[in-house]
Amino acid sequence: MADTIKLSVNGVEVEVPAGKNLIDAVAAVGIEIPHICYHPALGADGNCRMCLVEIEDGRPPLVAACKTKAAEGMKVRLDSEKIKKIQRDIMEFELINHPIDCPICDQAGECILQDYYVKYDHAPSRMRVPQVTKGKKMDFGGGVVHDQERCVLCARCVRFTRLITKTGELGIVNRTDQARVNIFPGRPLNNRYALNVVDLCPVGAMTSKDFRFRQRAWFLTKSKGICHGCSKGCNIYIDHNREKYKDDIIYRYRPRHNALVNGYFICDAGRMTYKLENEKRLRMPLAAGQQVDLESAVNALKRRIDQADKLVFLVSPSCSLEQMRAIQQLATHKAAVLSGYSEGYIQKGDGDDYLIQDDKSANRAAFALLGIDESKDTLTAALNEADLLISFGNDLSLSGMVCTALGKTELAFVGSYANNCADAASYLLPVASYSEDSGSIINIDGVLQRYGAAVVKNEPLPSMLQILAQLGGAFGDVQAVWSDLNSAVEAFNKVDLQNIPAEGLALTVSEVDNVTA
Amino acid sequence: MEVKILSARFDIADANKLEVAKEHGAYGTLEKLFAMEPAEVTEVVKASGLRGRGGAGFPTGLKWTFLPKGLDKPVYLAVNSDESEPATFKDRYILVRDPHMLIEGIIICCYAINSHDAYIYIRGEYISQAKILQAAIDEAYAAGYLGDKVAGHDFRVDVTVHRGAGAYICGEETALLESIEGKKGQPRSKPPFPAVEGLYGCPTIINNVQSIASLPFIIEKGADAYKAYGTEKSPGTHLFGISGLVKKPGMYELPLGLPLVEVIDKVAGGVRDGRKLKGIIPGGSSTPVLTADEAQSVTLDYESMAAHKTMFGSGGIVVLDDTVDIVKLAENLVHFYYHESCGQCTPCREGLGWMLKILGAIIAGKGKAKDIDLLLELCDNIEMKTVCVLSAACTMSLRSYLNKFRSEFEAYVANTASAQPVM
Amino acid sequence: MSNRAELMESGKPFAFDAERDAEFERLAKRYPSRDSLILPSLWLVQDQQGWISTEAIAYVADRIGTFASQVYEVATFYTMYHLQPKGKIHICVCRTLSCYLLGKQQIVDYLHNELGLKPGQISEDGLFSLEEVECLGHCGSAPVVQINGEFHENMNVDKLKEVLATLQSGGRS
Repeated sequence: MADTIKLSVNGVEVEVPAGKNLIDAVAAVGIEIPHICYHPALGADGNCRMCLVEIEDGRPPLVAACKTKAAEGMKVRLDSEKIKKIQRDIMEFELINHPIDCPICDQAGECILQDYYVKYDHAPSRMRVPQVTKGKKMDFGGGVVHDQERCVLCARCVRFTRLITKTGELGIVNRTDQARVNIFPGRPLNNRYALNVVDLCPVGAMTSKDFRFRQRAWFLTKSKGICHGCSKGCNIYIDHNREKYKDDIIYRYRPRHNALVNGYFICDAGRMTYKLENEKRLRMPLAAGQQVDLESAVNALKRRIDQADKLVFLVSPSCSLEQMRAIQQLATHKAAVLSGYSEGYIQKGDGDDYLIQDDKSANRAAFALLGIDESKDTLTAALNEADLLISFGNDLSLSGMVCTALGKTELAFVGSYANNCADAASYLLPVASYSEDSGSIINIDGVLQRYGAAVVKNEPLPSMLQILAQLGGAFGDVQAVWSDLNSAVEAFNKVDLQNIPAEGLALTVSEVDNVTA
Repeated sequence: MEVKILSARFDIADANKLEVAKEHGAYGTLEKLFAMEPAEVTEVVKASGLRGRGGAGFPTGLKWTFLPKGLDKPVYLAVNSDESEPATFKDRYILVRDPHMLIEGIIICCYAINSHDAYIYIRGEYISQAKILQAAIDEAYAAGYLGDKVAGHDFRVDVTVHRGAGAYICGEETALLESIEGKKGQPRSKPPFPAVEGLYGCPTIINNVQSIASLPFIIEKGADAYKAYGTEKSPGTHLFGISGLVKKPGMYELPLGLPLVEVIDKVAGGVRDGRKLKGIIPGGSSTPVLTADEAQSVTLDYESMAAHKTMFGSGGIVVLDDTVDIVKLAENLVHFYYHESCGQCTPCREGLGWMLKILGAIIAGKGKAKDIDLLLELCDNIEMKTVCVLSAACTMSLRSYLNKFRSEFEAYVANTASAQPVM
Repeated sequence: MSNRAELMESGKPFAFDAERDAEFERLAKRYPSRDSLILPSLWLVQDQQGWISTEAIAYVADRIGTFASQVYEVATFYTMYHLQPKGKIHICVCRTLSCYLLGKQQIVDYLHNELGLKPGQISEDGLFSLEEVECLGHCGSAPVVQINGEFHENMNVDKLKEVLATLQSGGRS
């Protein structure tokens, strides 16, 4: 079967992917069929009626695009007066009982009713009778607040809890215009993906308690990012803003679609890791226990390294691929023992069969590819004789070692987040976190993904790569690291940094290339 | 004018009991049935011209041929006994007075379509009727007419009564299936059609009670005997329900094709209290109303109704006289459809409530002239843009009152509505 | 239509009695899908308890092995399910088309004026409750009133008085 078919839209022939419904088929060539209840992850429900299109010579002549498979030779009409009137009429029905909450509604600026009103409606209101009133500000649990009046009853949230999480907390009760979304009393939203309904909801009926009233959508810069909450590496939007006289901070994470990694959703725990980017960050450099400026701290640590008898470098499994390689190079150069010991990052049994992984680090897969030793024995043996341990972001206390009781080993910490290990360090170099930096990580399925810097602080912290170069490393920048990776590490021989697909690159770890059947 | 084809045993005492029914011919077709090939049975039913008696009028035998062949899934039969269309009150008689005729029809249909499991969906309000029906089914099982070997033949038929609970929309075939599956009665988009993907995702035939109950006669006496009644394109008989402002309201079995006004006068005694005929609802509340003038040339068959831009529907005839306030009647009907909307899709859910409120405002003296045109426009905006035809049932009916009795609406708007007796 | 979503608790856990339990198990064999038991189960609850409480909905959901939200949907969608206790004598007056044309309002007005009953309400002594319902399928004998499940045809105020009097005195009409 061919991958594409030819059909015509508004009299113009287009070539579209085969096997899809009309909405997805023509979206692939940049044509929008407005729709509310359809969602590719949830299937077509056919209740909003916004996607009605004409099929010339079709039986029936008017169809819901979401429920109609694109067929060879189909003649689709979106621009006729009839369809335009239907779109205005559907919008009118959606709006007659819709509360005028825009001034206080989170969704303003990213609301389908607002967007479609401007694009497809623009007609004045003819509603002169009392509106239907329903419940507002309803706590559904899971951090979700529901407004029944704003709800357009697209049923996306209900389908999400039934089809995706299979927990079924949500339903639509009553009939006629009394229909409303609700939870069964005493059984609120209680799953680890509940906040996805906030993103799924096309209007402000589902809002996040955490985000409510905190920022207007049009002030947010929506940067692409990758969640570092576990080894799945779900794709996210990092929504951030710098208010006047304040710093650039992150207000929320939202899922970003990636067919190869997370699909359309992310977990709630990962979604909330944006707080770690804002709060409890390492800011003040330390040298020998004293607060100093950054340059002094770097120089002090550099001297201390040169003075050291036995060096141990401990690398975090959440460091980027480039950071790990640069640390590895510096370790070799300085004859330091290199360890990636981080078993505390793995919460056995916590993962599920969907997105959540036991391993709460973002890039452990790179350890294997780079040949970095993770064993406890190697580390404990090295620590017995070491007089300086430099942890690059690795919170050793998670893995059961008390960082204030390392004996004669002095502790240095180069990282972004405050933790027990950083607290115990006498040398502290704060660096940019992943949301402020660029790099690559490899997830648990072996997919290599690149991410770019999103947030730019008023006083930006240096990147870890810069620090490593200042400490004596060989790599000046990302390019230099990749030249090395391409030539020296087999897994990356054929990886072209400039041509990594948007969805990421599935690496084959074994030497044998998969032979296609 | 009345005939006794379907209603042959209705007036026999205890005809709902198996022994009495059998005495009068019940289950008499089974031997003949099992000697035929299933496809033969379908051909006979097709040849009879029997059309769906629930209101849609789709040829019954033809519907059976839509079942896909060679599919490795069970075929289901759903018998639509939801009977909730206002003005309709016929299927109830079959359930109460001759349930074995229905059961025999179910066996015939199951054999023809190779189904072994039939579900009778009966509206929740028919409480005693459901008990009588279940008692008859229990008798049929005990006598071996239902179960693993129907009448000793190697063919299983199991019948389960599934009670609704107060939702007109469950008379819509896909909503009926949803209800059997344990969900709200929210109609499905078609395609896929139930014959391909119906109950539990399997091929399913849904037929009205009266359609199924017509089968024993057709099999016993043949297609031609059925076609001897009615007209060429609308053969057979129908259990008509005549109600409203007539002298003798009631259920009457008549051949199709008789003149409407003659039936009202001769069978139902004519308009009561010496009043004048104002209009007739010909086939259930969803059918556009006929004015007294229009009604003069209408015959009770599908073709004549269509030619007069209305529908044969369920055969529920309601007679309106000159005391009827059409505007208030329209509000009464729109309230019905609003109350029964499943709420799934936007135009019906929001639009019917809006229209009801506009009508209420007009009646309360707060309407404006443009409200009448707004109502007409909303009828157009809603109709055929929805998942099912409940909304069209409302709008086609409302539009007919707005168009044909516009002056009464205008009188309300101009606050000159003449005093009507309080209804 | 009113908002039926405000469920009431009975204050006690619910479980089928022996008779309904047996009927539940009998029905379970007649459907290939457990969810098909939702409507019949809610009828069994209403037969046993007279109405369907929050606890009963949870019980049905857990017994069948389905989502409470789905049973909740069904209980609110189908208007014959009583989500609050009803009077000993539950009166349903048909309000549609032929019953409307032939005088249902007089019956409703009588019940309001003489018994103080409003649709959707129970009388203070808990004896009566009233509902206006849509077409009951008895148009040929309109107006029709369904009381505790039984149809009373060709009704008027006088006949209604008789029926209610008989029911109150414990007889069957």
